[in-house]
Parts: sequence; C-alpha cells; structure tokens
Amino acid sequence: MIDPAERATGTSNMREMEITEQEIAHRKRFLEFEEEDIGRLVEVNKIAEGYAEPVIEAFYAHLLAFEDTRGFFRDPEVLAHVKDMRREYFLRLTQGNYDTAYVEDRLRIGEVHERIGLPVKAYLGMYNFYLRAVATRLLTAYNKEPERTFPTFLSLMKLVFLDIGLAIDTYIFQREHTIRIQQEAIREIPTPVLQVRERLLIVPIIGVLDSSRARRLTDQLLHAIRDNRARVVVLDITGVPAVDSRVASHLLQTIDASRLMGATVIVTGLSAEVAQTLVTIGVDLTKLNTVGDLQGGIEEADRLLGYKVVKVEGAWGRHDQPEGR
Amino acid sequence: MAVPILKHQDYLIASIQSLLTDTDLWHLCDDLAAQVGQVRARGVIVDVTVLDVLDSFATRVLCAIAQAMKLRGAHTVIVGIQPEVAFAMVQLGLSLEGVATALDLEEGLAYLDRRTKGTRNHGG
Repeated sequence: MIDPAERATGTSNMREMEITEQEIAHRKRFLEFEEEDIGRLVEVNKIAEGYAEPVIEAFYAHLLAFEDTRGFFRDPEVLAHVKDMRREYFLRLTQGNYDTAYVEDRLRIGEVHERIGLPVKAYLGMYNFYLRAVATRLLTAYNKEPERTFPTFLSLMKLVFLDIGLAIDTYIFQREHTIRIQQEAIREIPTPVLQVRERLLIVPIIGVLDSSRARRLTDQLLHAIRDNRARVVVLDITGVPAVDSRVASHLLQTIDASRLMGATVIVTGLSAEVAQTLVTIGVDLTKLNTVGDLQGGIEEADRLLGYKVVKVEGAWGRHDQPEGR
Repeated sequence: MAVPILKHQDYLIASIQSLLTDTDLWHLCDDLAAQVGQVRARGVIVDVTVLDVLDSFATRVLCAIAQAMKLRGAHTVIVGIQPEVAFAMVQLGLSLEGVATALDLEEGLAYLDRRTKGTRNHGG
C-alpha cells in the first residue's frame, strides 16, 4: 500500500494533467500496446533482472562521461541512491501491470527530473542509450531463438514511448504551471499611486487591465485622491499591452469617478497602435483628456495646478563638481 | 429635515447633515433658488460629505440645482463625494454631467474663487 499522502499528491497531479484511466487506455491504444506486449515483457523479466546491474553501470558511465549530465551526480551518495532508483525504474518496465499506479509512478519521476532541471534532451538521450544497451543484451540472451528478440524489443519500445510521453507531458505541465503562476503575478501587480507634487498624483498602469483590476485601481485611486487632496491625476498606460473597448470603458469609469471627487484625470502613453485601434473600433473618447507621453502629462498637470517649473542656472554643478573642491 | 444654508462672503453653502428624503431635496432646490437672489450670491456649494449614497434621484436634483443656479447667475459646485459613493455612482452610470465637483469645502471655495474672480478681473 502506498502512503496515502503521497498517493494523494500523485493522483491530484494526474487529475490536473487530465490523465484519466480513459486517457491512459487511449495512449496505449495509440501505441498499439496490447496484451501480448505485456506477455512478452513479463517473460523477459528474468533476463532483465540478470542484465540490470551491468546496464546500469554502463548507463552511468555514459552519463558521467558528459559534462552536462555529470553535474547532476557529483555527490557519490546521491549517485548511489539514484542508481538504485534507476534500477527500480528500469526493472519496473518488465514487471507487468501497467495500470494507473504505474502511470502515477512515471509521472512522479518525470516531475523529479523536471525539478532538478534535467534537460529533455538528456532524458531522451539516456533512454535511447538504455534501449540500445538492452537490445544488445536481448540478442545475446535469445541467441537460441533470435526470432523472439525483435517482437520483444518492439514491445519494450512501445512501453518506453508511453513513459517518454508521460515524462514530456510532466515537463510541459510544470512549465505551463509556472507560466500560469507568472501570468497571475503579472495580473496581480499592484498599481502604485504616487504623489509627484502637492495635488498631483501619477498612476503608472503596468499589465493587463481586466475588470477586477480596474475596479481595485479605481477604488485605490479614489481613496488616494481624498487622502492626498489631489486635484490632478496623470494616468499613464504605456505599460498596458492592449487597449480595447472594455479597457477604455474601465478607464472612462475611473475618470468619471475621479471627476466626481473633484480631480481631473489626464491619460498619457497611448501608443500609435492603440490610438488606431480605438479609432477603428469606434470607442467614444471625447471625455478622455489625453496627452502624448508622461512628461507632457505632467507639464499639462502643472499648468492646470498653476505650477511653473523653472531651471536654476548652474544648479547641476553642485552634484557634478570634480572631487577635491 | 431642512438643510441649513449658510452665507459666506459671496457664496451660499448648503451643508447636508443627514440622509434626505426626496421632498427635502426639492425643498433644498427651492430654498437655494430663493436665497441666491436675496443675498446676490455668486456661487453655491452643496456639501454632501456625510452622504454614503447618492442615487439617481439625488443626482438629478443636484443637476437641477446647478442649472437653476446658473439661470440665477451663480456657479454651483458639489463637494465631498466620498470614494465609495463616487465608485457606486459610476457603476450606476451617474456622472453628474456638466456639474462642477470638488474634493471638499476648501477646494470648493477655491474653485468658486477661481471662477468668480476670473469674471471680475477679465470682465467675462
């Protein structure tokens, strides 16, 4: 009996990867992996136990000969452990009963490979080396009845491809999982509301502006307007990858709400493409107060607030004076 | 409950103290229209700081007040709309189109000063 907790994680991963019993059956059908294949593999189990040890030794000698795979097995203790695991893994190929538990086990090992950062090319190369090593040994073992060698090898190859398919799926799944988490993180990036001068806030929006984020942004901005007593807000959307009619309507709501609190909103950073898109889809932007870039927006805000930025002659010298003066 | 209307220099300040019924709102409109003529006010401030909701009726009355005051020769500014109220209003599609708004009483006074002094200094 497998440890329940371990089993739980295994099955949940399987479920997330959408590998059901039907899916496993389907994969086997596609590989034409049938009862007689199982029979042939089980028959060869005794022989496999015999050649397990030398094949493993040759296998690791091969891995250690290459710089990129050697790195994974520097510690002799780790190497010994991994060798044991690997022997188990290979022996499992000829022990029959290729059911859900088998697939779960394969998925778990694939996940370990992914986690330690073993590249797919190394995984494939390793399996290829193993198949070649086994082929030679099967030929020797079946030297009395050579006609059995080829079908047995083909059966083994089908099962190995089932394994490879599962392992690569784990790789892809883990990567997709990472991508999903990162996308989530991008979507969740908090939008800072910054005071530039008294009465002037800037809000640089980065990332996709969906409804929930727009709502949070509006809420945050309205409170910032009250707390900072802002009169002008510059909303910079340079970092928003796509502006469609939905995003535009979110922006218009934010602008309306800000106006109700007595603040004028200036939108900056609409790129040429975005402007073209908005005109083409016919979004009504008459209420949108836009200025080309952030600098222009701040200048316009200064004008509205009655500020005038004056350059002080020679002021830069204070910071850039040569040493020793 | 009637809304107290205070006079401050050239301005009238209607400071709403509690949630108003629809009738109260119309009374406010009438009172302001009458008083703006009596005291020759140039500006009107309606302070809604204490209100935690502004529905479509209240919004309509506020617009009506602004228009009536304009006809009587005074600028109107609504002050003190709270973040939650503003948010709810835009969700309902109420945006007080054409009515000036300001953060609070102080900002409202500054706004009216800008508007009325501007007329005085530049003659239009």
